[in-house]
Amino acid sequence: MTEKQQEREFTPKIVGFLCNWCTYAAADLAGSTKLEISPTLTVIRVMCSSRVDHNLLLTTFFEGADGILIAGCHPGDCHYGKGNYYARRRYAVLKKVMEGLGLEPERLQLSWVSASEGNRYADVVNAFSEKIKALGPNPINGRPDF
Amino acid sequence: MKAKIGVYVCECGPNIGETIDIPRVLETIPALEGYEDVELVPKSFGLLCSPAGKEYLAKEITDNAFTHLVIAACSPRDHNSTFIGVCKEAGLNPYLYKIINIREHCGWIIHDKEAATDKAIQYIRSGISRVLYQSELFERQLEITPDVLVIGGGIAGMEAALSLASEDRKVYLAEKTGELGGKAASFASLLPRQGRGADVIREKIKAVEENEHILVHLNTELESSIGFLGNFEVVLAGNGDDEKTDLKVGATIIATGYRMSDPGSFTGYEYADTDEVYSSLEIERMNGGEGIALRSGAKPASVALIHCVGRQEKGYCSRICCNYMMKIAGYFKKQSGATEVTEFFFDMCLPHKADQEFFDHSVGLGIDFKRVKEIGLSGTSVEFTETGGGKQRMDFDMVVLASSLEPPEGTEALAELLEIDLDERGFFKEAHQTTDPVATSIDGIFVVGASQGPRGVSDSMLLAQATAGRIRSQLKPGGKIVPEVKVSEIMEAYCTGCRTCLEVCGYGAIYFDDQKGISIVNEAVCRGCGNCFGSCPSGALRTKHFTNKQLYREVTEALK
Repeated sequence: MTEKQQEREFTPKIVGFLCNWCTYAAADLAGSTKLEISPTLTVIRVMCSSRVDHNLLLTTFFEGADGILIAGCHPGDCHYGKGNYYARRRYAVLKKVMEGLGLEPERLQLSWVSASEGNRYADVVNAFSEKIKALGPNPINGRPDF
Repeated sequence: MKAKIGVYVCECGPNIGETIDIPRVLETIPALEGYEDVELVPKSFGLLCSPAGKEYLAKEITDNAFTHLVIAACSPRDHNSTFIGVCKEAGLNPYLYKIINIREHCGWIIHDKEAATDKAIQYIRSGISRVLYQSELFERQLEITPDVLVIGGGIAGMEAALSLASEDRKVYLAEKTGELGGKAASFASLLPRQGRGADVIREKIKAVEENEHILVHLNTELESSIGFLGNFEVVLAGNGDDEKTDLKVGATIIATGYRMSDPGSFTGYEYADTDEVYSSLEIERMNGGEGIALRSGAKPASVALIHCVGRQEKGYCSRICCNYMMKIAGYFKKQSGATEVTEFFFDMCLPHKADQEFFDHSVGLGIDFKRVKEIGLSGTSVEFTETGGGKQRMDFDMVVLASSLEPPEGTEALAELLEIDLDERGFFKEAHQTTDPVATSIDGIFVVGASQGPRGVSDSMLLAQATAGRIRSQLKPGGKIVPEVKVSEIMEAYCTGCRTCLEVCGYGAIYFDDQKGISIVNEAVCRGCGNCFGSCPSGALRTKHFTNKQLYREVTEALK
């Protein structure tokens, strides 16, 4: 297989941590509307985007995820009040850490998708999938040797 | 004991049956790598959520003595609770079961059947892997007290108390001042054709005083409150004496109302003549007494009614002023038809169904309405720019201001004491403005009337009655509550006592144990969002049913 072919064959593995109240519901809506969504993303339901901590994200990258999507309620709409603001701060910090690890920060994306935004959910997932496809495989697949 | 996992694929009629190759899924499961020590029993059924499906599933759980259960079907938002019910009935701890959403996440969105089937198998693998790391959780039932504390004896507070008090539910009504009734007691009439406000309020006060299940505490404020829905321990303190009252209540209703902001603090009103410029409440009092007159005792020949005072500075519409200013215009016209009444407004707010009619009626009385984009007062002379016009000046005998409603003094302290949030305008914040308008961020603490934002009498009554309904259904006398079990817990050995979790918790569910020097989660208050987990720098937190191990298993299988 030539390098070009390999590139074409690359199917990214993306993990999506979706908050139960907004984005998970948006995914349900996208589903019931039968929108076509890339199978590259695997949904993991969490109660709130603020539950997603750095260890979980890094482990997910070390286990070979090519991209991670964290998605929750729009600012001001968090079911738990302010969880999504905390999620945003943790996300911003991790982006810096990723640079140090040699991981492109674009591999981590935080999006706000409300329960009524089924179309937006499909667009976000499909666009992110294309972005990761263009970035290529995760360069530190496997636990790094510190 | 060897784990025996039932894996049931629901066809969901054609929804899964036709979009996913179920026979291939069932063939694949027993051959999964890494589960040699586990007995996997894969089966499919037409419609698991149907009565026949539930019966079948319950029997399967019992007959096969499953240790765990995975159901590949629809979204947990649809039928998680259905299958939790089946598990309970069949004697399987429901936290040893997991629903896998292969309909919304596979069949419906991946339009190629083979690809959808591959994805479904991957999700089911994740589920099997996760469920093995799930632990039994047990729901607890807690005794509750149905009694309620209402803070504020205005119309909203009294209405809430009257709607709640009964043979088996006491209501404690704490009022800061020496009398019940609040602001509305001084109104001569409650909006158009609604009778004398004072009469309506007097009736309510009488009903409250005569109700043996309502215990009124005048000149009293809240001193402390700890606890959770169904179980609050509160202390009331007299504001004139040292009297303290300890109470146990199941819920607290905040009905502290509003106050009129000081117009002198707003641009354009710095030079207002203090003698002949009145607040709407002063006019209400005069009208209810000797009649509306100037300081000299003479009746005014011309009056300016200015709406929207402070609206721009405050950043919100006070909602009730347009209506009550038209009402006040009516007082003047009734007193003397010859009084020239001019109303200046920035925007007309007529939110209720009878308001338009009232506006038309007011125009019919000969009241002059002027829409302005700029206005200022110098003495009792009004300088204004009408929309589409130039700068003008008019002199009046009397000016009445509809100043913005704002939160009363003590609001911040009360919010701090109850650990609930205020919004950016300083009013108490609802759990959700649209979908949960009387609850707050703390379960069991409710907010009604103008304490959550400018409200008129009818809206305040509505909120009070709505809250009473909520409390009646949540706190049934003699009933029990089942707190959330998927909560956080702190592993004492790991906690360094940094208190970060206390800071991020939006529910006040974590407290600090000074003796042990660590944080402790009050499981009855925790809602299980996991924010504390995300914040803990020492890995001392665990989120039940969403533990690291459980999520890692899901992730790892998904990435295999």
